[in-house]
Amino acid sequence: MTTTDLILSHCDTATVQLPQSMASVQKEAADFLDANKFAFAKNEVWRNVDFSDFMNDELLVPQQNAPTPQTKFTCGIPNLDTTQLTIRNGFYQTDGEPLQKLGNGVVIGSLRTAIAQCPDLVAKVFGTTTPVNNSFLAANTAMFTDGVFIYIPDNANVAKPLQILGVADHEKSIFLQTRNLVYVGKNSSLTLIHCDDSYNHNRCFSNTVTEIVIDEYARLDHYKMQNLNDNSGLINQTFVRMRQNATLLSNGISFNGGNIRNHNEIRMDGEHCDVQVHGLYLMDKEQRIDNYVFVEHSHPNCNSYELFKGIMDDNAHGSFNGHVLVCDGASKTNAQQSNKNILLTDKATINSKPFLEIYNDDVKCSHGSSIGQLDEQALFYLMQRGIRPHTARTLLMFAFCDEVLKSVGIAPLQQQLREMVQRRLQGELSSCDNCVMSCPTDNCHFTIDVSAI
Amino acid sequence: MSLLSIRNLHASIGDKEILKGVNLEINEGEVHSIMGPNGNGKSTLAAVIVGNSKFTVTQGEVIFKGKNVLEMPVEERAAEGLFLGFQYPVEIPGVSISTFMRTAVNEQRKYRGLDPLSGSEFMKLMEEKKQIVELTANLASRSVNEGFSGGEKKKNEIFQMAMLDPKMAILDETDSGLDIDALRIVANGVNKLRRPDNATIVITHYQRLLDYIVPDFVHILYDGRIVKTGDKNLALELEEKGYAWIKEELENSNK
Repeated sequence: MTTTDLILSHCDTATVQLPQSMASVQKEAADFLDANKFAFAKNEVWRNVDFSDFMNDELLVPQQNAPTPQTKFTCGIPNLDTTQLTIRNGFYQTDGEPLQKLGNGVVIGSLRTAIAQCPDLVAKVFGTTTPVNNSFLAANTAMFTDGVFIYIPDNANVAKPLQILGVADHEKSIFLQTRNLVYVGKNSSLTLIHCDDSYNHNRCFSNTVTEIVIDEYARLDHYKMQNLNDNSGLINQTFVRMRQNATLLSNGISFNGGNIRNHNEIRMDGEHCDVQVHGLYLMDKEQRIDNYVFVEHSHPNCNSYELFKGIMDDNAHGSFNGHVLVCDGASKTNAQQSNKNILLTDKATINSKPFLEIYNDDVKCSHGSSIGQLDEQALFYLMQRGIRPHTARTLLMFAFCDEVLKSVGIAPLQQQLREMVQRRLQGELSSCDNCVMSCPTDNCHFTIDVSAI
Repeated sequence: MSLLSIRNLHASIGDKEILKGVNLEINEGEVHSIMGPNGNGKSTLAAVIVGNSKFTVTQGEVIFKGKNVLEMPVEERAAEGLFLGFQYPVEIPGVSISTFMRTAVNEQRKYRGLDPLSGSEFMKLMEEKKQIVELTANLASRSVNEGFSGGEKKKNEIFQMAMLDPKMAILDETDSGLDIDALRIVANGVNKLRRPDNATIVITHYQRLLDYIVPDFVHILYDGRIVKTGDKNLALELEEKGYAWIKEELENSNK
């Protein structure tokens, strides 16, 4: 049975049974699928996206937790201590309790368990961040298997970053639907690092949804890193709802992956919210990347700033689709959108569509997009100093990425990301060192003195 | 044998011939100044020597340290010791001067079969060379030329020259855009780097720079050829009379 048929025929039988309070959301999702199927051709938001080869494929949906492997999965960042939450092949995996309730009121662990043990906390997030507005969201809502649940109560500062590690290492070609829920309470702050890694070369199609609520005066720093094999497909949808004076810094770096859709929808429900969404994508071969950002300004005095930069090599294909909606009541909005691309070959393509929709005349909004090649004059300048063409090009590409990397607020993470970008640009398959794709760093002809940039 | 020997050099951009048979011999320890009206090939000559692919060499040869550099790629010419001080230094956002220089120094060392400098060796070298052009401490951590004033850009060129220690430096209008103080600093920098075993070509419009960097020879490049060569007094003569008399002299000799 193809993935499409599987979803459409099973969407009314939920994998995870929800209590009555949330079951209506699942019903709505099933109805949405019933009515809309997977027809996207005329949908502007999904027009550039093509997952048909995954949707027409016959993929296995893992049904339960596989036995814990001998080796523990890690996605280590040198000099940074994190609390790791692992999702393996669609299910939360741990040696200990599937749901931990910490002394300060923080709850972290498996969503499946959280639904059983603390449905009231789950209901604060599940289905509240977005209407059911697309079929992949609907499929996930109806049929998700598990995921990470993070609940930060009011007035809590979680000093140690939480790290979600999404691992795919199944022996078969698989289809995963995980759902992550994050609640950051009033005056609280959280740093969340989300890594999606392949640990083998098998086909994996992941339809992931993350819902996030950032309450009043709270702050979330959200870092997403994607390092998947070339056979993989990832639809990574993140829906954020922010209350007044909330702050979001989102930074997504797509290092590798067969076909990636990063879909972000951010809604501000109060005044004085501050949103920064940054993205960096480095694609080559036949890879595809689509970044979509929707930001809704419905209240006055909010800021949003988007910066997406990408380098496309070989036959890679990508799109940026940014939509800022400034509603009638959202005076004093400050919104900026920027998308910059470098195409390294004649065959690499990018569709860039920054888009502002404004219904208030007391706002400051700007948008811009550029697509170009490496600066020939700068290359000549570097080469005249004795730097070989390959190194000169790498240096210029690294410099291009710097604007996004320098916004990473955690120094050890920034360092790690710089090194990964450097390795990626040197033509190595980039990956965390523990994953099967990692390659030794040799023939590195220059070392970027990262401290000095 | 000359350090740099240019023989009957012809070069074009597109269909337009710019250099029409340049001959020039430069020995170790010498400073040569090339002067001439705008648009007569001074910058083109510099660009062709270092290998800018915008220009096509149609005839002639450029021999540097006994090697035909026209057959070498840009970066090899640089590693052999040819340095160009750019008239318009390029801004490179996101690359710091120290990263740029560390990469350049170590790539050149690799070419010469030397081990790369360690971080501390490099920092020491940089501190030492910064003095030569009175570079302020924080400049090295800034992106290459980004937001630099005209003076800072030119100082940065001489700083790079000091770091790379070239055998043959060609300074293309290094004096343009400089105030008197910056001019003195830049010129002093060049003088400090002058040694019996290296050489410098100074391309300039103004005699002023030559008060500080005293040339052994002054050449006039006119209509793609070196039409007159003299000592530093030739520059003074040009300052006084302009270029019209050169043109007349040429026309008379052609009759």
